[in-house]
Amino acid sequence: MAVRATKTLGLIMALACLTAGMVRAADVKSLTKELFAVPSTTGNEDQLAAKIRGLLPKNVVVEEDGLGTIAVRFRGPEGPTLVLAALDGYGHMVSGITPDGYLTVDRPVAPPHARFDAYLLGQPVVVSTARSPVQGVVSQPALHLLTQERRKALVEGFSLENAFIDIGVRSEKEARAKGVEILDAVTCPPVLTELAGDQWAGPALGMKAVAAVLVDIAAAPAAEPPGGETVVAWAAQTKFAARGRGARPALGAARAKAKWQPRRTVIVDVVAAGKSDGFPFPGGGPVLIQAKDEPSSLRQALVKLAADTKISLQFLTVADSPLALPFAGPSSEVLTVALPVRFLNTPSEIVDLKDLQALRDLLAAFLAKGGGR
Amino acid sequence: MNKRIMVAALVIVVTTASAGAQSKAWDILREIVLVPGVSGHEGPVSDFILGRLPADLKVQRDAMHNVWFTVGSGKPHILFVAHTDELGWIVDRITPGGRLRVKPGGGLLPQTVEARPVLVHAGRGPVAGIVAPRPGYDERRPNVEEPEAPFTTESFDIYLGVATEAEARALGVSEGDPVTAKKTVTDFAPGLMATRAVDDRAGCAALLDAALRLRPDAVKGKTVTFAWDVQEETGLFGATELAKTMKPDYVFAIDTFVSTDSPLESKRFAFLPVGKGAVIRAVDSSNVTPKTEIRKVMAIAKKRGIPVQVGNSRGGNDGSVFLPGGAVDIPLSWPGSYAHSLIEKIDRRDLEALTDLILAIISDWK
Repeated sequence: MAVRATKTLGLIMALACLTAGMVRAADVKSLTKELFAVPSTTGNEDQLAAKIRGLLPKNVVVEEDGLGTIAVRFRGPEGPTLVLAALDGYGHMVSGITPDGYLTVDRPVAPPHARFDAYLLGQPVVVSTARSPVQGVVSQPALHLLTQERRKALVEGFSLENAFIDIGVRSEKEARAKGVEILDAVTCPPVLTELAGDQWAGPALGMKAVAAVLVDIAAAPAAEPPGGETVVAWAAQTKFAARGRGARPALGAARAKAKWQPRRTVIVDVVAAGKSDGFPFPGGGPVLIQAKDEPSSLRQALVKLAADTKISLQFLTVADSPLALPFAGPSSEVLTVALPVRFLNTPSEIVDLKDLQALRDLLAAFLAKGGGR
Repeated sequence: MNKRIMVAALVIVVTTASAGAQSKAWDILREIVLVPGVSGHEGPVSDFILGRLPADLKVQRDAMHNVWFTVGSGKPHILFVAHTDELGWIVDRITPGGRLRVKPGGGLLPQTVEARPVLVHAGRGPVAGIVAPRPGYDERRPNVEEPEAPFTTESFDIYLGVATEAEARALGVSEGDPVTAKKTVTDFAPGLMATRAVDDRAGCAALLDAALRLRPDAVKGKTVTFAWDVQEETGLFGATELAKTMKPDYVFAIDTFVSTDSPLESKRFAFLPVGKGAVIRAVDSSNVTPKTEIRKVMAIAKKRGIPVQVGNSRGGNDGSVFLPGGAVDIPLSWPGSYAHSLIEKIDRRDLEALTDLILAIISDWK
């Protein structure tokens, strides 16, 4: 009888764990969808920050840095471990309004690659005004009227010089009446495409997925970790390079370093995957990135947690990214854990949901173990 | 009643004389524009039209999926024709890595679909894919002086989320399947939108709306044919098939007027603003409409208070294949910015003016 009761209890507990796991899996996906719908570009992160605040438990105190970065702190006896992700993605902004009501466009920061601006040609866009989103399209020449010369100039040589957003008005006054102002963010509409093999595609999806992972772990019931103080932060203006001599760290990361003075930092980022050489593989698990292929306590902790929780990892040795740069030094330790993203920095970034879940589970375990101490 | 009100009332009475109801063209357009129908694969669009035409009409459909019906009798015989096909691609082959190579199905700038979602209309239902960005898209080019390899339909492939040909086939995808861009509707304001395939679903919607509002007495003493034809974008093939048996006196092709109402175009010609009324395509790449006929249409429009613009632009129209058989081609249209793009723009007022103009012509044409 006792044996049967124990077995039944075990079965119930196993089912409960399985159900909890399924709930969590649904959570990170639904959180990703929620964040995906909110535009966020460098200098225009306020909407996404507000959304994240709204998703965190009411009793959590949200810290700010004055530039748009937000963070939550989990108290512990030791100095802080920082878990940091970007709050901003690449995008454009309104730079002017022509007398006939078209919007001109600029970038707040340098593009991630030379073709980035060209993705605007002939596409729907959303202008995020203070009042409400305004739908528009980026003009393109009519195919029937294209000469060889015009094709070369306006299509193959498309640049922001030729980018005019049509919002369906005829004058600057009408454009302003819609609430459009200079510096309003211009982004692709958040259209999610669900592909075979549990993969999602969409603009700025990688960054939003990573931000959602941090929301999920920060909002989890077991987020009061033992063993140390941990700060989970979403940093604004990470695509903007801090000025000064030498290497150019991400401004948002440099400020986070100055504010929280972490001894150990886990950067949660995205990494281009599935390129011609294949590595890292989308679907192959989170990617641990270090500047030097050498053991570290952070790496050991994450590798052990991954082994314990049966999460596949991939390893990459490349120079520190602008996000990781400020934290590299003799007195502190930094490790990047990245979500593999196919077609990174295009309007259709592809995320494998298995990687997303694995990243979430790995970081949740990391926090639950007191930052791997 | 003062004179101005009397004139306005008269215009309303005359305008609605041939029409049986309020225009639903805009609502029809918003539905039909989303129905897939790449050239040679227009079946779903033909189904849509057939499903909305009155059951008592004797509607015909041929093997190509051209759809038409004729009402009335006598001379003249007037044909209205709009094309059901849209630009897209056809699956040419599946690579060992599970990606799709495609053949073009009409003219879209390939650059505008790079790294953008598409739908493969496979036998078991639509399958989502992404047009893969060009190789090395995010890498610094070793020699910027060398011209970049062009991004063409022949060079791009479509990623479905699978890694092998067998997995792609397991999704139901096969050679010959049509592919469309995933359509996004941009609503600038109520009654002003931009999306893919307004060319020529707006023409289809105008014609369908006119057919639904047509009063039987409007066709007295003349023969009127409404036709929705196929494969215009790839060579006017559907119209050519119809022209083998139809010998109209007048053909009104209902299709986009390629307007230069855009910040990137020269206003030297074709500058007919969006929102300022229906269009008579006086001259295009396939037809020169006799001025006498333009004046006739203008007079009818003026009598009915229908806003109409006249212009010349580029592009062909289905009516042109009826010219050798003796017809006069008078293409009607709406001013369309950004023709052959993902963001073809249209104003509801222009579409409804077009529908009203079709009905007025049926009623008044001699």
